[in-house]
Amino acid sequence: MKKLKYCFVMATILVLTGCVPQTKYAWNGYDQKLYDHYKNPTESEQFVVTLKEVIEYGENVGKVPPGIYAEYGYVLYEKGNFNEAILYFKKEQDKWSESKVLMTKMISNANKIAAQNEKRKESTTEKSVPITGDAK
Amino acid sequence: MTRLILSILLMLLVTGCATAKVKDYEKFNAAKPRSILIVPVVNRSVEVTAPDYFLSTITIPLAEKGYYVFPVNLVKRMLEDDGLSDSGLVHNASVEKLSNLFGADAVLYVTINQWDAQYLVLSTQVNVDLTYVIKDGKTGDTLWEHNQKMVYSPQQNSGGHPLAQLISAVVNAAIAKAAPNYVPLASQANNQAFTYPGPGIPPGPYAQQ
Repeated sequence: MKKLKYCFVMATILVLTGCVPQTKYAWNGYDQKLYDHYKNPTESEQFVVTLKEVIEYGENVGKVPPGIYAEYGYVLYEKGNFNEAILYFKKEQDKWSESKVLMTKMISNANKIAAQNEKRKESTTEKSVPITGDAK
Repeated sequence: MTRLILSILLMLLVTGCATAKVKDYEKFNAAKPRSILIVPVVNRSVEVTAPDYFLSTITIPLAEKGYYVFPVNLVKRMLEDDGLSDSGLVHNASVEKLSNLFGADAVLYVTINQWDAQYLVLSTQVNVDLTYVIKDGKTGDTLWEHNQKMVYSPQQNSGGHPLAQLISAVVNAAIAKAAPNYVPLASQANNQAFTYPGPGIPPGPYAQQ
């Protein structure tokens, strides 16, 4: 009887461990969060936070999924945070050689827009000088 | 007698049609794609949210098979910025050009044929019907294709009082109507579609690590 109970416990453990999906990568609910993002596009901030969490957790266990650095880089890019975006595009490129073509493009785009913005800033400050000069 | 022969013939015909064609992996194995670009989904259902919701289910099964999967949200947003928000246009564009743009070995095109719930008197049935096509980024040839249909109907408790049954059916229908369970069903469809050996695709380059 005791043996039977033991067998039962062992079988339960086997079934339970068998049921736990063993994934290659630490997705950490990425699919659910992407779904939420499409469901409530206004709450984009939540998506940014989630992607960051997926990366942090993935780095801790050494299982960052493909595409996640780039996905995070892109939301930073959309927010106008180009320097940090470039950092993550580079991470994606270093980890996954398949992403090289796209990441090179993203990095050069981010650099271009960042430079443009820098120029615009300069030109607006330049403009503001003569105006104040006229006022005098 | 003739009726019997006729019905046997009909059965043979039906079962004959039903046997799945064994897929030819020659082209797929020759192309050996490392990376797969998933482009926005063509929607033939009436549910406008279906393509985006579906997009959230497709990355994980493919990446877990060992392929590099391009970030789906980035790809979608980039195409939109380039004026390609119409997925029909993207599906009809040159595969080679598209692959070049992203540096992808292969492109996965998904079409949603059905994504709906049928409200029958005593039960509600949720249907998802998807067509998957993977094309070679270099030649544009079709490497693999599959159609997957999934049907979900909430379990009815058989037996019991007919009125109780009717009430539970109404409750089920209400639940399905409020939030039809498309996403888990779509995930199941993906899992079945990509199973290999089976209808799916062979493991990718990262499968063994």
